[in-house]
Amino acid sequence: MEIANLPISASQRSKLLSAGYATLSSLSSLSPSHLARDLNIELQEALEILKVVSDAADRSKSTDGHHQALKGVQTAWDMLSEEQMQQHITTGCEDLDHILRGGIHCGEVTEVGGVPGIGKTQLGIQLAVNVQIPVEYGGHGGQAVYIDTEGSFMVERAHQIAEGCINGILDNFTDHDRKILACQEWMQPNSFLSNIFYFRICSYTEQIAVTNYLEKFLKEHKDDFDDLACRTRILSGMSLKLMKLAKTNNLAVVLLNQVTTKYTEGSFHLTLALGDSWSHSCTNRIILYWNANERYAYIDKSPSLPSASAPYSVTSKGIRNSTSHCKRVRMM
Amino acid sequence: MLTRFRVEGEGERSSMAENDDLGIERTASIQNPTKPSSSIGARVRATHDDDEDEVRVSLRPVLPHSSSDLIHQEAARALSVMDSFHQPWLTGVELLDDANRNKHVLPTGLEGIDVLLGGGLREGQLIEIAGPSSSGKTQPLQMQVCLHSASCIADKGSVMFLDTCNSFSPNRIACMVNQFSGPLFKEAKERRLERIMSSILCQPIYDIFELLDTLHQLESTLKHTVKTGGYKICLLIIDSISSLIAPILGGKSPQGRLLMVSAGIVLKKLAHEFNLAVLVTNHMVGGEGGIIKPALGESWKNIPHVRLVVSRDQQSNVFTATVLKHTMRASGRTAKFVIHN
Repeated sequence: MEIANLPISASQRSKLLSAGYATLSSLSSLSPSHLARDLNIELQEALEILKVVSDAADRSKSTDGHHQALKGVQTAWDMLSEEQMQQHITTGCEDLDHILRGGIHCGEVTEVGGVPGIGKTQLGIQLAVNVQIPVEYGGHGGQAVYIDTEGSFMVERAHQIAEGCINGILDNFTDHDRKILACQEWMQPNSFLSNIFYFRICSYTEQIAVTNYLEKFLKEHKDDFDDLACRTRILSGMSLKLMKLAKTNNLAVVLLNQVTTKYTEGSFHLTLALGDSWSHSCTNRIILYWNANERYAYIDKSPSLPSASAPYSVTSKGIRNSTSHCKRVRMM
Repeated sequence: MLTRFRVEGEGERSSMAENDDLGIERTASIQNPTKPSSSIGARVRATHDDDEDEVRVSLRPVLPHSSSDLIHQEAARALSVMDSFHQPWLTGVELLDDANRNKHVLPTGLEGIDVLLGGGLREGQLIEIAGPSSSGKTQPLQMQVCLHSASCIADKGSVMFLDTCNSFSPNRIACMVNQFSGPLFKEAKERRLERIMSSILCQPIYDIFELLDTLHQLESTLKHTVKTGGYKICLLIIDSISSLIAPILGGKSPQGRLLMVSAGIVLKKLAHEFNLAVLVTNHMVGGEGGIIKPALGESWKNIPHVRLVVSRDQQSNVFTATVLKHTMRASGRTAKFVIHN
């Protein structure tokens, strides 16, 4: 194994190569203080490098040949039964849940994009509330992390949506039961709010984070980019990390994206932001759009679902099925 | 391949004697070129380190009594030890024999593509399929081609699917497998589905170092399998390799390109040595004049043996494949194929 294939930083690699260490064996019996002196780096850094080297050496020696040695491998047959047990988070709108076959999938990254005012933030807040529906009522009893790069998260609206969700659950019970349940602590809107962990991103880049409005986030760091190629690299690196996070922790990762205009074949049309390369990076994509004064959601990309559209509406209680009342307000 | 030949003096020989596990000691004499009448004898020790292709040779002076015949003999023996550390030279006839006997053609099940490829995916080759994300309805077309090939080929041998996009859908594969089954009773269909799905192995991979590690492990596993005669992988799919390489390519350092080329070399070596077909997918990016082209740049173009671009005809179920590069056939040819839901 060569030094070039080790997961260490570029500067460490170049220091190793210029000091003459090109293979694993040349580093295998070296003491950390000797390495630190040779490369002119801190002892801690030398220890880290040698740890990476010894891990790599261990891995290449430890394979004793049977195929179970490949970690993380599953047969498609095993995955088939797992996929059928995959968890979903309901969106609040039955039609939308129907085309998604249950809701937003846990363990996958889903991108939701659309024009301003279509309800992306509303959908985000609704999902953050719906994930907390207790298991007894068909939910997950989970928590949500909301990363806001635009400052568009309104706490009062979240409270309103939580109330709407709770009332929706209580509607299924008789008056008597309802009174008892309504007193339970976890059925209060405030406790729902306490399970939403809110991050406002202003100035730092997080390696492991669920990101809201990636484009806005990146615009605030525009100074770091000298070219679009750099932006593409960062985006694709981020999407790999999000996918890994989603898969290993069985999280649903939801990304909200803006639209931008694109000029092709002599005309302008709307398309999701962040470019063609980004469009490959997400596992699922849902596009929100207007159709004759109604809001629609369209499944644009999914490994297992066919493309389909469903109408939805944004009400004071949150995201619900489309009805005749909830049309776009006409500006006079 | 022999990469290094280091000669050490007597002082270091003692420390080497402690480390070596496979030492072959030979006696040889080396003629001093400036004084042919006298000769300096030397002990040649060749050791083999399992991880490195390196042969350490140490010289120690011995009494000058060896003849030049002995020199040649011992030198030849040392060289044969070194020869065993790299692949032997093969003649064209042996290569052709290997191609006919070991490098089978695996049909993808998509008629147009199989015609373009001369039967299907050929073992021993690295095949790239590039396609834009907008084609193919909800699933990228290049990914559907991979799933189709997997379901078709898993009937004959095992398929290893390295998934970098969380896009491997067992349900979709089950649909495709059932399409091929033809008229069978329900139980037989179930059994067939289980058998085929159990020979498709899937592993998620999220960065290039993980990929190189996995390929390294796969190599050891396959070497072991060859000896014990276990199950046989005949197709390795990486969907998509561009998503692993995109984060590291470009920028100031050439590290990204180095890792990309390393990955290509490892994949082609695996393909040839273990008779695998390797299928990788790529996405498209905008080029000059608004024409889209496969991602990963100029350096990548030379790495696969065969390159195809796929696209969709309007909104239909019919797709077109174009050959960009092929080892045995002309490029530029196109064919249409259909993927059913």
